[in-house]
Amino acid sequence: MIKDLINRDKPQKLYVQLFEILKKKIEAGDWPVNSQIPTEEDLCRIYGVSKATVRLAVIDLVRQGYLRRQQGSGTFVCKRMISEGLTMLTSFEELMLDAGVKFETEVLVQTVMMPIDDLDVKLGIAEDSHIIYIKRLRAVDKEPVLIQESYIPHQLCPSLLEDDVANESLIKLFDKKYGITISRVKDFIEIAYLNDEERKILGSLECSAALLLSQYFYSGDTVIMYSRSVKHPERFRFFAEYERKVI
Amino acid sequence: MSKAKSVKELMIDVFEYPHIPYWFTIRQAMGLMKKSLIDTEKCVHPLAMLIFDQKYNLMGIVTLKDILKGLEPRLMKPVSMADPDVSFVDETAMAGIEAGLFDEESKKLAERPVNDIMVPVSVFVSPDDSAVKAAFMMVNSNLTLLPVLEDRKKLIGLIRMLEVYKEVSGLVS
Repeated sequence: MIKDLINRDKPQKLYVQLFEILKKKIEAGDWPVNSQIPTEEDLCRIYGVSKATVRLAVIDLVRQGYLRRQQGSGTFVCKRMISEGLTMLTSFEELMLDAGVKFETEVLVQTVMMPIDDLDVKLGIAEDSHIIYIKRLRAVDKEPVLIQESYIPHQLCPSLLEDDVANESLIKLFDKKYGITISRVKDFIEIAYLNDEERKILGSLECSAALLLSQYFYSGDTVIMYSRSVKHPERFRFFAEYERKVI
Repeated sequence: MSKAKSVKELMIDVFEYPHIPYWFTIRQAMGLMKKSLIDTEKCVHPLAMLIFDQKYNLMGIVTLKDILKGLEPRLMKPVSMADPDVSFVDETAMAGIEAGLFDEESKKLAERPVNDIMVPVSVFVSPDDSAVKAAFMMVNSNLTLLPVLEDRKKLIGLIRMLEVYKEVSGLVS
């Protein structure tokens, strides 16, 4: 078996890379449930990284339920919380909107930019590669409810710049036009503060706190899109439905 | 005289250049310029960034010179010449100017949007134009980099003085 290695040329942080490598080992069963994983020192030696890097990766794996630490005896592989039979079967939509809500979409921006802040890390791309940037305003009954900004590596689908993104969902376009199947979505929901421009667009002047939904769309292990949606403080709610696969 | 190559044979793909929306600040553009300078393979002359509007239309071009001018408008100030015939600057006058350049004010100016400092696109060529026409347009408009537009609309590349010079000078030799 070829050992996955840390690549220092990648924009990804080392501990994130190590996290992914160790996670893969656990998921593939290379490290069976209840087995003890190598010590910090061994992991440092195997992957050629510092103790701090190993520690961060392991802490994240513990946090996400892959590993458990036992005082005085070491770190062990956990029994996965979700077993095969309980896997949720979900269909992805770009928007977490109540089914049946009719919304209008206005495309505010559909252009190309370079990665600023940590967009290169979020998308797993080189820091000098181009990104398609789409900003859309969703309205229900002419009332603005959601600003949605999406970032997609340009080389994945260059002609997305000319596509009708007001009426087509990006996920459908990836699937039908570009042959990219989104297989996994990670959603993060937090409170954020609207900037002046967002407040102006949403027309909510008094309250500056809003819900922020950050979404990472993956095909396999590749990030296809990062989206950031801020929701009007009052109008509508985020909605997600999961269906359990019954065997 | 043999026929000169066309612009499309000599141009550089548009995605070799950093793309910046016009509302980015000069500071953000400087950060991105720095990243694209690290990769020497892509270090193309003249170093430039392309400025786009929200619908991906090219608005203008920013070069290293435009950034420096934007950070320090006093670079454009005329300086007295000690000897106008050979264009030697008056060293005492220069020393006085130099001392105040790129001070705190420049940090404030770096927060301006890049469309403040870009050179708006006024001249362009078509992919089927000849290198000779590109040379004419460059010299005539005092530019060293021209956008290449398909059907006068779609940006597909850029043509540089370097390639135009190589081609045109080859015709003469």
